[in-house]
Amino acid sequence: MGKKMNISIIKSILCFFLVFALSGCLGAREINDLEIVIGMGVDKDENAGNILLTAQVVKENAVGGASGNGGGGDDEAYWNVSSKGESIFDAVRQMTHKTGNRLFISHNQAVIFGNDVAKEGLQEYIDFFLRAHEMRPAALILVAEDRASDVLDAKPETEKFPAMNIAKLVKTYGFTSHLYKVNMKDFALWLMSDTTAPLAPLLTIIQNGENKEIYVSGMAAFKNGKMVGKLNHDESRGLLWVLGEVRSGVIIVPSPNETGKAVLEILKAKSKVTPEIKDGKIVMHIKIKEESSLSEQSTTENLADDKAFEKIQKSSAEVIRQEIMAAFDKSREFNADIFGFGEMLHKKYSNEWKTLKDNWDEIYPTIELNIDVESKIIKTDLLKKPAAPKEGEK
Amino acid sequence: MFGFIYKITRYLSLKNKNMLQNTESDKNNSEPITPDLEKNLEVIKGIFRDSSDVTIHEFNFGHERKFKGALIFIDNLANKEEIHKNILQPLMYGVLLFRNNVDIDFTKIDSIRENLISMTDNSKVSMISDLLDSLLAGSAILLIDGSKEALAIKPGKRESRSIEEPGTEAVVRGPREGFIENVNVNIALLRRKIKDTELCVEKLVIGDKSKTDVYIVYIKSIANPKLIEEIRKRLKRIKIEAILESGYIEQFIEDSPYSIFPTISNSEKPDKVAAKILEGRAAIMVDGTPFVLVVPMMFIESFQSVEDYYARPFFASIIRVIRFLSYIISTLGPAIYVALTVFHQELIPTQLLISIAEGRERVPFPALLEAFLMLFAFDLLREAGVRLPKPVGQTVGIVGALVLGEASVEAGLISPIMVIVVSATAIASFAVPAQTDSGTILRYIYLALAGIAGGFGVIMGLLATLLHLASLRSFGTPYLWPVVPLDLSGLKDVFIRMPLWTMSKRPEAITWDNCDSYSQSPDLMPSAYKKDDNDSK
Repeated sequence: MGKKMNISIIKSILCFFLVFALSGCLGAREINDLEIVIGMGVDKDENAGNILLTAQVVKENAVGGASGNGGGGDDEAYWNVSSKGESIFDAVRQMTHKTGNRLFISHNQAVIFGNDVAKEGLQEYIDFFLRAHEMRPAALILVAEDRASDVLDAKPETEKFPAMNIAKLVKTYGFTSHLYKVNMKDFALWLMSDTTAPLAPLLTIIQNGENKEIYVSGMAAFKNGKMVGKLNHDESRGLLWVLGEVRSGVIIVPSPNETGKAVLEILKAKSKVTPEIKDGKIVMHIKIKEESSLSEQSTTENLADDKAFEKIQKSSAEVIRQEIMAAFDKSREFNADIFGFGEMLHKKYSNEWKTLKDNWDEIYPTIELNIDVESKIIKTDLLKKPAAPKEGEK
Repeated sequence: MFGFIYKITRYLSLKNKNMLQNTESDKNNSEPITPDLEKNLEVIKGIFRDSSDVTIHEFNFGHERKFKGALIFIDNLANKEEIHKNILQPLMYGVLLFRNNVDIDFTKIDSIRENLISMTDNSKVSMISDLLDSLLAGSAILLIDGSKEALAIKPGKRESRSIEEPGTEAVVRGPREGFIENVNVNIALLRRKIKDTELCVEKLVIGDKSKTDVYIVYIKSIANPKLIEEIRKRLKRIKIEAILESGYIEQFIEDSPYSIFPTISNSEKPDKVAAKILEGRAAIMVDGTPFVLVVPMMFIESFQSVEDYYARPFFASIIRVIRFLSYIISTLGPAIYVALTVFHQELIPTQLLISIAEGRERVPFPALLEAFLMLFAFDLLREAGVRLPKPVGQTVGIVGALVLGEASVEAGLISPIMVIVVSATAIASFAVPAQTDSGTILRYIYLALAGIAGGFGVIMGLLATLLHLASLRSFGTPYLWPVVPLDLSGLKDVFIRMPLWTMSKRPEAITWDNCDSYSQSPDLMPSAYKKDDNDSK
């Protein structure tokens, strides 16, 4: 009996090990053999048709953690490797001539496209990033106002890695809602849409003495994959109001008596867009509900009463309306449907859409907006009245 | 490994043959006691020719000292003081208190027992072999000239360790007493917890040479009779020379000898064993060891501690969850680390990956080898520390911690993260003492699988373990009960520990027919004093 049992056990163990043959990717790679890429930049090379790819690779021995041999100091913890190639994948593989190891791009935080590439059209460059299995669809996509390699070279003060710093700048967009976080997946979906124009945050370098500082100056708008223009901060927020993506931010309005300013912090914002086709005219009904708190005032007036509130609410609603209109005017100028109105119409008027679709470029500038903003101040934070001598006591 | 097991089974089968020979030689002793004292003594002296510790004391007694007797005992096994006081004194001097004409037949063992011996634990033997058994078990043997029977008298006291707090199951709250090596004391400890006539203590003697007393302890009205019958059957099957510890019994009666999971639990604590007996389980108590076996065992018992029931349910539930987590960490910790760093680097948060990469910069080994080295070093340290005397053991711990924790990282042999992983694993492995053995084996298996096939390998290993666990049974009880098969009322005491007053029924999988009988009244939920109740009275 013992022998029989042994044989059956051995059989089952053998069967168990057969299972391993079923699995496809048995790629064991030690961490030491990885070149961890945290950011990539795509530029055009001087040679026509070639690509200059810059990869920001972590220099493990210079990170300077607890075991700290070396580390610290002025040594940069990253290494910007660049290589040329006819395509992105070609350039990635060419890079092994410099790094020795294969690039590991799963932790790529951001892909930055240079201005020239963006203007030519991202369509052909983005394919590799969507196709490569190591690449995350959540990696951010950005556009540099000039060259992407320069952006990756600008050393940040608090972060160790420029790419991480850039990712942080974009991910914290909610403090101002002046830009929007766009990742590979979003960008690709917009690109695949018939009408919607893709967007990407735009990075600008400011020369501050010897230091270079990276600054998100707005959003780049694309049409058919080509960059057509730029939205500034206010216009970008105007766009976000409609998309319902405003997280927080500051609205500055004149105080009711025009003696100073009242500064509001956006706490909550909701939007609802209803398309309507009326007598062949397209009207987008945009309803914004916004709640804010009074965060600062530069006047001695007592703003914490109903009448003052009403006035402030009215003017803040006007500010929001103007921002939306500014964004819409800009989009009309580019003739790029950054709001995604086309898709909204498609959903609601699927029959009419068939005819609208074909000459959308002509139709888009004729769209009318019906903006209804409901702004509300719900609190005044810790102070009710400003810290000023009481009026009338003199 | 299986070859090794096969060798053991061969060895045991050979042992059985030897034992058969032994029993043949024992047959020489199985002759009756003769009325001739001299002849009996000759036989006994012949048997103990080479044993100097057997005392044979011949004496004369009776009024005229005309009766002959002999007292045989083994020094230190039988308490000399009591023998003198309670056997020899009454026979030699106590007899003088009787008048001469009193009708005592000094050649009849019965009348001596009834009239002279002042000790209760005595029995008659008529065969030499029985006589020898009693003698070796610690009795003093009284042989009387002219009697065909001898009297085996067991002096009460026996040298034993005092009752102490058990080293393996220390508690913060709860009884501190633990079982000792003397099984009679252990049974008394149990009797003190369960004062019920239904508490049965069945005795068996196992071991041709050791003749170890083994007791099955259960409560007749609660335990499933089939379970008790099964235990009896399995115990009687054991033909072995010696039972030196309850572990011997465990390995001969367990359901799955090839499994790395124990299907019989053991404990040193009377309160724990009493609680399990009250749930319908049976305890197997073996003389000579403080470890009492309890069957059937379920996997969940490894995660339950007596203190769970003494502490209030909220804290007990949190600790229960922590134990589950610690078992998972202790078995899967290094495997997951290796799988993540070698196969699935994309799953590690970027900052953490950079730290790990930075720590591994100078490490010359692959992560798998690194993990094996560290685990080996840890198990080595633990084993060395356990066996050594306490002060030396501490030194080993300090040296190990310094060498492993500091020096190996400084020297660039091991990455600092690996030290953290292995130490977390090590700490976690102590939180579930009942599964330390299985956990250690599983840890190495999972680690090897992670090294071969990454997360896929670990998952396959986990699946195989789960399948195996689900197929295990302990004396008819599914090992994973009450999770598999699912029993909702049993779940009250698995992942969380419900308040005691909600647990009014006994576990169904153990008691079967008796599970409907309540172990406590079902409406015991405590509530504040209510005026209405009082008024109605």
